[in-house]
Amino acid sequence: MNESKDNLKTKGAVISAKSGTKESIIGFLEKGMDKGVFDAVLISMRVPAGDSFAYVLIKDESILKDAFPLPPVMSVQGAKAVSSVTRLGKGNMKIAAIMRPCETRATVELSKLGQTDLENIILISMDCPGVLPISDFLSDPNKGMKLFDDATKKLDDKIMRPVCQICDKSSMVAGDLHIGTLGAKKDTFFIISNSKKGNELMEKLGIDLKENIDSWQAKVKNISEEKQNKRKKTHKDLKSETGGLDNLLDTFSQCINCHNCMRVCPICYCRLCYFDSDKVKRPSEDYLQRAESKGSIRFLPDTTLFQMGRMMHMSLSCVSCGACEDACPMSIPVAQIFSMIADETQGLFDYVSGRNLEEPLPLVAYKEEELQEMEDAK
Amino acid sequence: MTKALKINKSTEQGILELLKFLLEKGKVKGVFTLKKISNDGAVAYSLITKPDELKDAVPLYPLMPTNAGKLLSRFTLKGSSNEPVAAVVKPCELRAFIELVKLEQGSLENLFFISSTCGGVYPLKMAADGTIEKNLSKYWDAVKKGEIPTDLRSACKGCEEFKPYTADMTVDLIGKNDIDKQCMIFLNNKKGEELTKGVKGEFLEKAIDKGKIDKFQIKRESEKKKLFDEIEAKTKGMDGLIEIFGKCIGCHGCSNVCPICYCKLCEFDSSDSEYKPSNYEIELKKRGGLRVPPGTLYYQLGRLTHVTVSCVGCGACEDVCPVDIPLSIIFKKVGESVQKMFEYVPGRDIKEEIPLITFEEEEFTEVED
Repeated sequence: MNESKDNLKTKGAVISAKSGTKESIIGFLEKGMDKGVFDAVLISMRVPAGDSFAYVLIKDESILKDAFPLPPVMSVQGAKAVSSVTRLGKGNMKIAAIMRPCETRATVELSKLGQTDLENIILISMDCPGVLPISDFLSDPNKGMKLFDDATKKLDDKIMRPVCQICDKSSMVAGDLHIGTLGAKKDTFFIISNSKKGNELMEKLGIDLKENIDSWQAKVKNISEEKQNKRKKTHKDLKSETGGLDNLLDTFSQCINCHNCMRVCPICYCRLCYFDSDKVKRPSEDYLQRAESKGSIRFLPDTTLFQMGRMMHMSLSCVSCGACEDACPMSIPVAQIFSMIADETQGLFDYVSGRNLEEPLPLVAYKEEELQEMEDAK
Repeated sequence: MTKALKINKSTEQGILELLKFLLEKGKVKGVFTLKKISNDGAVAYSLITKPDELKDAVPLYPLMPTNAGKLLSRFTLKGSSNEPVAAVVKPCELRAFIELVKLEQGSLENLFFISSTCGGVYPLKMAADGTIEKNLSKYWDAVKKGEIPTDLRSACKGCEEFKPYTADMTVDLIGKNDIDKQCMIFLNNKKGEELTKGVKGEFLEKAIDKGKIDKFQIKRESEKKKLFDEIEAKTKGMDGLIEIFGKCIGCHGCSNVCPICYCKLCEFDSSDSEYKPSNYEIELKKRGGLRVPPGTLYYQLGRLTHVTVSCVGCGACEDVCPVDIPLSIIFKKVGESVQKMFEYVPGRDIKEEIPLITFEEEEFTEVED
């Protein structure tokens, strides 16, 4: 994180939340719409049957009342919702998008990849306790809601998605504003600005960003260090379980080629995936030849290749959100494996996906002095 | 009277013998069947050319990791197989492949089909959590008795198309109480007879026991009625549809695994389904709130319209749905009602044309006025 950014984040606003955090956040958003600071809000809401949540673009305040700034599940990665509205241009509406930090970061990545225009979008993230695996939630939505609320209060991540349990960026401020609930006094929360856009918005709302946010920073540091250790340990174990070709093949042996992981991945934005394209469709003699060389081949033969290929394509931008793993019908720990690889590839370039809109994607930036240690490698 | 081949081995062993024979005698170049591919017992379709590799094959395994029709389409999409290949598939997989061939997505040439009377398959979840192995004996006990095994894919529970239409050979499974001791393969045509010539076994004049089949049919029928009635109550009207599809996360996994959804790029992933910011602004002005990405229900109903005449009710869609929408029953129910209008059974006969590409002057006259 560059210094000027960090300076921006040493102060914030303290917002009173006597009527509840959720209600106060909605109140804050209503105020933003009333004052014309933004025209619409992109936020989660319960679906009509009440058994899940979806992103909704809201203009009408009577609908906003039922919004859920921090839903217990991530049914659709928020970056995909932002991209669907702004992929073809910035439009005339100013939209405040309330999402989790990994969703904000994925949105930043999509912006770098030319898949969303953020000019009229205000990205607002929140301290995130994690999300429940969607199948766990759906098995009993009422119980799921209660479990999530309890776990959030206790900062207990055991029931969350496995990647959420090892997420060290659950309070990363990457958008324009961030809502900090950690370290806040009872019935309050912090609002922290991370951009000029954020500052201007707060100014228009007449909210000063002068309060001390040390308690938030201390708590965040604490949690993120703890999670980082857990992450390293989990990745180390995973590496020994999945390392080497045999283990790798075993890990993906259950894959059925549904490509759900790719479809729900916020970074996999290709309209037609290479692995669904004509390139991978071979004449029958080719398949038979391959079978003959080994005695037998799995069909489709490119099952593991798809996983490796997708990993190559998106690991530098992977935000470890876990959408892939949630959508895998075969319960393959895709998100954990991808987060392990992402940490390593991003580490090579000192890059953190979605951290900063100004940081170019490593593969589009050429640095003469980069990766010299590889040059002499034989 | 049709011919049959009796091998005095367990049914699975008998089929493996036959496959081995076909490979060793060079009658086929390859065998396409389910096979254990990992130490932890994962099962996937495989293309086998060396007889030794058959040791891990599990042709009758009650699981459909991918609809084989889709895989055979991939195998023959770029032209028919130059070499003969025998495929062991389930009846709905064979029907799906026939539909795909009609849709010009594959070729039947040089392929031989071994199918069976099918007891159904277990949901993929059982393979994912490793409980399938424990359930196998329960499965075969039910099949032997001509009963519907419990805990099947819901599409399988009420499937009345458990007997293959166009297989060259049909393995007798449903209601066959000596599955463990004897393998009975019905040779449905000349191809089947030619292929099995020389196999160690007894050739008989014997047809499939219609009584057993009819009894099983009745059980399936009543199960289907239950499933259909349930889904009908749940999906009534626009509100019902919104309720049932509301939790869809838009992964489109259902379309990706559907054997009939062969489009390289689905309409609903194309630029036709992308909207300009101004479209959102106009809609938002009208409605005050708008789900994004939009088109959740539109996608489901669109796909339903596109695949419904060819839907074979295999249940692959529901099995991959991360949010457990009862897709297979909805699609099967709508599919059957549309298919009935045209007296069409998808995949029954390669010569029957897909209803939507044939025009019959006398058709639907009742709708005209």
